[in-house]
Amino acid sequence: MEELYIMIYIIVFIVGSIAGLLLSYKKHMEPYIISEIDVLTLVFSIVGWFLLFNHGLNHFISSEILLTIAFFCIGLAIGRRPGYGRKETAIGILIAGIVWILTSGVLF
Amino acid sequence: MNLMAQILINVIIAFLAGSLLLGFHRKVMARVQLRPGPPIIQYLLHSLKFFFKETTFPKTASIPFYISITVILAGIWVTGVIVGPVAKGSLMILFGIYAIHKIVEHNAGSSSGSPYGKVSCVRAVFSAAGELPLFAVIAVIFILTGTMDISGIIAYQSIHGPLIFQLPLAALMFFTLIVTKSPYSPFAITKGKEIISGFETEHFGMLRGYIMFSESIAWYILLWIFLTIFFGPISVVGYVIGMIVICIITGFINATTPMLNPNHSVMAQISIAVICTVGSIIMIII
Repeated sequence: MEELYIMIYIIVFIVGSIAGLLLSYKKHMEPYIISEIDVLTLVFSIVGWFLLFNHGLNHFISSEILLTIAFFCIGLAIGRRPGYGRKETAIGILIAGIVWILTSGVLF
Repeated sequence: MNLMAQILINVIIAFLAGSLLLGFHRKVMARVQLRPGPPIIQYLLHSLKFFFKETTFPKTASIPFYISITVILAGIWVTGVIVGPVAKGSLMILFGIYAIHKIVEHNAGSSSGSPYGKVSCVRAVFSAAGELPLFAVIAVIFILTGTMDISGIIAYQSIHGPLIFQLPLAALMFFTLIVTKSPYSPFAITKGKEIISGFETEHFGMLRGYIMFSESIAWYILLWIFLTIFFGPISVVGYVIGMIVICIITGFINATTPMLNPNHSVMAQISIAVICTVGSIIMIII
């Protein structure tokens, strides 16, 4: 069964990436790169990476569903047009990593 | 789970994960060369695109051979998935698959009738010696573990620890093979850019889609074998991290190293194979 879930996660990530790419090209038609942080992408990135690292904190919804949502959100942020989504992804990983370190008991 | 379902799921995983890894590899190369590079899913989108493009046939092609060779290529890599991740079978069968892959490169090049394909076809024969490291790795592992079955090698490592610590030179030899098979490799003489895309140059549309499908699976299987036989029983997260790290390392190497000429490419691979094989055997004896 584990392989089935892996396949679902990969497919969901790809669907998220394609959606992210299409959204990004729709929003940014200009030939140059705007180096501002996009709030929507940032939200998707934080939600995605948070759920990926910290899905164990939740005991009500199954991990498989949370991970599926996580991979979709990560795909949406990371799959943006080249030049976009990098800062948002880095912030998402940073926040999710800090929460994981504080809650997993690694430090204590 | 049903065996057929397991095979299907593993083939889909191999194709999708292999495509993403090849896209990521290309992205790493682009970033090293200070370019933005394409999105990571670009390789997958290209592969899928070719299945819906019109397929045309060169006038000079030997049609039955020209078509069937791409199907054979896809077939051998589906077999690779069955022997590897599904059955965890013998490394000798996987070696056979690599040998057939070389024959397919040769025949795909010659069947089109294109001069670029023919040069690639000759180079495929020439570079067959590059498969020597794979055979040497299998032999060295057999001497140490007494088995060629991947499941047996995993069981050995769960008792004695990862083979990379016991056979580092064999791991280096296998890593050389990974670099050889990676896109834009300094050793990839069959697809050198001076011969356009080598044996793939004259394959269009759906036939090219089959070739790209096979290449994705081949890349995934190669990384899977390396991580499995040298790092022992590892989790899914371990595989993901390992595959990403290997793509980053090979991306750096390929982005900064010019392509070697055919003589140097083959001699470099054989020299590494000989040195690492002798070194590994000495380490086992000592």
